[in-house]
Amino acid sequence: MEAYLTKIRSGHLNRKIRLAAIGMVLLIAPILMPNNYWLRIYTMTGLWVMLSLGLNIVAGFAGLLDLAYVAFFGIGGYIFALLSSAQLNIHLPFLLVLPLSAIITMGIGIVLGSTSMRLKGDYLAIVTLAFAQIFKLLLLNLDTPINITGGVNGLFAFDPISLFGLKIISFEAYAYLIWFFAALVAVGSFRIKNSRFGRGWEAIREDELAAEAMGVNTTWMKLTAFAGGALIAGATGALFASFQDSVFPNNFDFPQLVIVYCMVILGGLGNITGVILGAIFLSILPEFLREYGAYRMMSYGLILIALMALRPQGIMGQVEFLLKKKKRPDKDDSGRLKDSTALYYEKHRSEILSSGGPEIFSKSNAVILELDGVTQDFGGIKAVDNLSFKLHEREILSIIGPNGAGKTTVFNLISGIYAPSEGSVYFEGAEITGFKPHQVVNAGIARTFQNLRLFNKMNVLDNAKVAQFCRTKAGPLSILFHLPLHRREEKETDQKAKEILNLFGTRLTGYRYDQQALFLSYANRRRMEIARALATNAKILLLDEPSAGMNPQETIEITGFIKRLRDVFGYTILLIEHKLNVVKTISDRVIALDYGIKIAEGSYEQVACNAQVIEAYLGRRRQSAC
Amino acid sequence: MDIYLQQLPQQLVNGLTLGGVYALIAIGYTMVYGILGMLNFAHGEIYMIGGFTGWWVLYLLTKSNEVIMHAALVISLMIIAAMAVSALVGMLAERVAYRPLRNAPRINLLLSALGVSIFLQNLVLNYQGAKVRSFHISSLIPESLRVIQIGPAVFSFMRALVIVITFLLMGLLALMIKKTKVGKAMRATAQDIEAAAFMGVDVDRIVVLVFLIGSALGGAAGTLVGLLFTQVDYYVGFQAGLKGFTAAVLGGIGNIYGAMLGGILLGLAESLAVTFLPSAYKDVVAFVILITVLIVRPWGLMGEKIPEKV
Amino acid sequence: MKKGILIAFSIFTVLCFVGPGYSADVKKGIHVGDAGAFTGDAAAPCMEIFNSAQVAVDEWNAKGGIQGVKIEHIMGDDAMDPAQGMNVAHKFVADELMYGVIGPPMSHVAQATLKIYGDANLATITTAASKPELTEQGYKHFFRVNARNDAHGWNCALFMQKQLKVKRVAVLNEKVAYCENMATQTIAGLKKLGITDILQETIVGGAKDYSAVLTKVKAFKPDVLFFIATTAPDQAIGVRQTKELGIDAIFFGTEGARDKKDFIQASEGAAEGAYVYHFGPDIYAIPAAAGYVKEYESKYGVLSGFGPPAYEAMNILLTAIDQAAKDGDISRKEVVENLHKIKNYEGILGFPVTFDQKGDLLGSATYFFKVVGNDFQQITVMTGK
Repeated sequence: MEAYLTKIRSGHLNRKIRLAAIGMVLLIAPILMPNNYWLRIYTMTGLWVMLSLGLNIVAGFAGLLDLAYVAFFGIGGYIFALLSSAQLNIHLPFLLVLPLSAIITMGIGIVLGSTSMRLKGDYLAIVTLAFAQIFKLLLLNLDTPINITGGVNGLFAFDPISLFGLKIISFEAYAYLIWFFAALVAVGSFRIKNSRFGRGWEAIREDELAAEAMGVNTTWMKLTAFAGGALIAGATGALFASFQDSVFPNNFDFPQLVIVYCMVILGGLGNITGVILGAIFLSILPEFLREYGAYRMMSYGLILIALMALRPQGIMGQVEFLLKKKKRPDKDDSGRLKDSTALYYEKHRSEILSSGGPEIFSKSNAVILELDGVTQDFGGIKAVDNLSFKLHEREILSIIGPNGAGKTTVFNLISGIYAPSEGSVYFEGAEITGFKPHQVVNAGIARTFQNLRLFNKMNVLDNAKVAQFCRTKAGPLSILFHLPLHRREEKETDQKAKEILNLFGTRLTGYRYDQQALFLSYANRRRMEIARALATNAKILLLDEPSAGMNPQETIEITGFIKRLRDVFGYTILLIEHKLNVVKTISDRVIALDYGIKIAEGSYEQVACNAQVIEAYLGRRRQSAC
Repeated sequence: MDIYLQQLPQQLVNGLTLGGVYALIAIGYTMVYGILGMLNFAHGEIYMIGGFTGWWVLYLLTKSNEVIMHAALVISLMIIAAMAVSALVGMLAERVAYRPLRNAPRINLLLSALGVSIFLQNLVLNYQGAKVRSFHISSLIPESLRVIQIGPAVFSFMRALVIVITFLLMGLLALMIKKTKVGKAMRATAQDIEAAAFMGVDVDRIVVLVFLIGSALGGAAGTLVGLLFTQVDYYVGFQAGLKGFTAAVLGGIGNIYGAMLGGILLGLAESLAVTFLPSAYKDVVAFVILITVLIVRPWGLMGEKIPEKV
Repeated sequence: MKKGILIAFSIFTVLCFVGPGYSADVKKGIHVGDAGAFTGDAAAPCMEIFNSAQVAVDEWNAKGGIQGVKIEHIMGDDAMDPAQGMNVAHKFVADELMYGVIGPPMSHVAQATLKIYGDANLATITTAASKPELTEQGYKHFFRVNARNDAHGWNCALFMQKQLKVKRVAVLNEKVAYCENMATQTIAGLKKLGITDILQETIVGGAKDYSAVLTKVKAFKPDVLFFIATTAPDQAIGVRQTKELGIDAIFFGTEGARDKKDFIQASEGAAEGAYVYHFGPDIYAIPAAAGYVKEYESKYGVLSGFGPPAYEAMNILLTAIDQAAKDGDISRKEVVENLHKIKNYEGILGFPVTFDQKGDLLGSATYFFKVVGNDFQQITVMTGK
């Protein structure tokens, strides 16, 4: 994940130099081309770059296998053809046709996308592939009874582009025009990547369910990725049609789809620079292989196989982290050797355990969450059976029970991953039964997962930032134009994320901000999981076995931490735990479940001495303590 | 109206034959999907290779277009050889391209499969050329049985034979899955690959077996189609593959009976589409059906809605 | 990021120096290009074109080439994609030793690349692109050794009316440029001749099964089925399945079906009595072609209808280049002018080749054949009257 901010801090000047260099290259390249052949290759490369960047949004950022992408390219091309030629006798100016092509294509993309957003990855691939085939068939056959698409013969002889009085006809002019747009798309890609949209998409790609559970409206976000890709493809199509001065069904077929996918994969899904380079490489390479026909296609096949097996992250990988100069973790900014984390922690232990402010919160009597007769029926098995309980504000309520008792299912029901077969859930008096997970988060309830569902390839800071998705509202326009709303929200998100991460001492701060989540130690991963939930500005936290797998030392620490979350910061906590000393130490009340049914409720002592609970879960030895 | 009714019986026959073929191809897709959760895009090319193998055997066994052995033996040899070669190619693809990606994200597997498909297709193009190969089948069919007429519908002998063999193969497969120990292991692996491993099933071997059977069936389909339509060329895999997995998805991907049902329904739908619409749109109909089914009932006609365990 | 820019920049710089820069002296070398779809599903006919042209090039080179310089035959694959076709065109145009191109055989690619070749005045001889409009746009560099489909279509309509004497016609065509345009022209011709009972449906090339659409044709009860597909194998299946379904109509195929192996033999008897048209007489019956036929078939397999025109076209092109090279210096302009001067070239096609002003084959006649036994018999010739 590109740490844009780091770049600005330390490489602001570098960046300016880089951008200037690129600008220079783009200005003089068309003049340097020795003949029309290379000029054409240069211009086509620009088109491929645009197309790849568009696909990068759908497949790279959001991880959606969109096989209709080339059809969107075609739709844009044909719309341009129909609006600027004698075919339908419509002759609109280019400045109108280009956005129209892009927007209509985007509209079609949205329609297609909305039909398949609920489908899992493979199905999306199939539906989009089918759509692409239908599109091609329509192109071929819509020439009788009325000739709309020109059928196999295609459409040609379009109006020349006229921009503010300048006619774009020469090869050089096209080269500048197309690379201008390519540069725009590139800049736009970088901007959108480092925004709540980019983070949201990456989260979806990493783990869609977790993203949804962290407040990202995944259905809508997938749709926007799809639409974004279609928008760019449509615009590219219009430019391509004008450049070729013709469109044929063969221009927008399966081989072109394969090529653009190869470009994106070669560069690394999601890696903008890589995709640009991949597009350039694979745009030029075929020209050297044009004499080799079938060998060329064979090599594309081999490229795909080899890349997937050996280096799926592409030549540049998804992580620019690997390219950047790595900061040594044991030296601080001035080069002095730092204390190791452990050492640091020892030194400041008491500080960390007790910092944050006075303990002012405790359980109140107001009911903040209520489950009423909730049942989850999985067709024969009732995971949760007629469960009712109330959770009070700033209460710490623990749920215990044997494995398979339905504890996590309760969390899933509250957080919206399942809708209950019967019963209702109320939050602050209002009904939230059947809310989608991201809506539940928006309302104010966040959860962690028993089996840890971090966004592994995203770094620590971004993992926390994703959680702020539902608390921000900057749209694509605001992001692309760096409007004040976006800038302000980015700053706030950054601050909030760091604030939360700081609660865990130095473990998740400093150089760790840039570290991919999958590199964290196990205990840190558990802490990250909680940090993420905290970052959603929730009122209620559902913590699912937060100390699982931690050693006693770490358990004590996390226990204290959870207590502080309530005492100092005022969170309400619903806790699933197996470690009874933890439950005993911090719970205000305890509920015991067995086979989905509540078998006991009350203080820890009451529940622990309940005969049914002992029978089902605790074992006879506890009896002596009662 | 009459002109439609006239065509119907024949179109049903056409549809059933086509459907049987689609079903055989669909089974290959569905089996691999059931076990590994991946769509083996290369399956179409495996089918094509099976077709070429069958042609090759026929070519070797015919001198000046007359077969030198008994027809039934020739056909059996063709099918067996095709199944063997296709199975081999399928297993190779699994070993080289898919096994390293066992735990990779879905999109990687799909793209690798795409790569295998492109590679195989162009490999055959390179070494075989682009020319179509013809099956000289007249010597395989007894003179009297060349064309069979049942009511208003006409069966060619080959058509009847292909229908019979297709259903025979499907029946054998169903039997194997249900009644044998290996079949049980396959079903277990399809449900939960890790749990099956813990239960002592050698999942790697089962995966190889699934590729073997699925690819073999695809190869058989290739030869049968070659016999039926008397031709094969390097490009047949693409379109057949597309139809095949449309059928698999239609019936419920992962479900073998679904693949059979999906294939037959698809064949019938196409034939009927041609009857009532301009034939140019027959493929459009097939894909529209696919999209509709996926939207309304994403797990297919015979699939099951499996809730995801969180 | 820096590394990336460096790489990109160096690629560009390197490529800038790679472009060739030669002069027009004969001694430097002679290139001829071949543009076609050598990958994809039209690879078979296009490879036949390439290989036939190669036979011609090999023969010339065996005799010492042109003015002692060996001729290089370069393939430019467009995979049926006009965008790639334009890349090929630009590449050929940029090659200063390139003096002529055979192809593109597909009308839509030919259309897309017309301007590029035209602006560079690089002679282009196509062997199969039949869309009439290609030679109606004022370009002087574009030639055909095949007939346009408006001529063919009219002749086929005449044939069906006069010779076959039919009243109901079913037309099945593939959805590609050649077949589509042929169908349109033929149907227009039929209507002009007063035949209006026409059923038109489309087929997909390479689909292998036409039973569904043929069943529809059967219900229409036509007198003749005009099966317009590109390649012989497809038409072999067409005629076979027509017979199997018991359709009682005359089967009429295209030039592509004029193939003993892939049409007559492949259909195993079903083709008996079928008709095909061709823009040239029977290649196997032309003594002048015997050498070429033998050479081609020994190396590449049995000929279908696509090869001979390519051999002829390459020979004509090389003749024109040879003439232009006599003074030691070749220019593309000379080659084009020489091609326009070609009159009554006696080659292997069985009729003398002359290009008219527009670059079309003069005197487009259509030859009609009937399948008798294991061979094609010429039945008649239609010349538009």
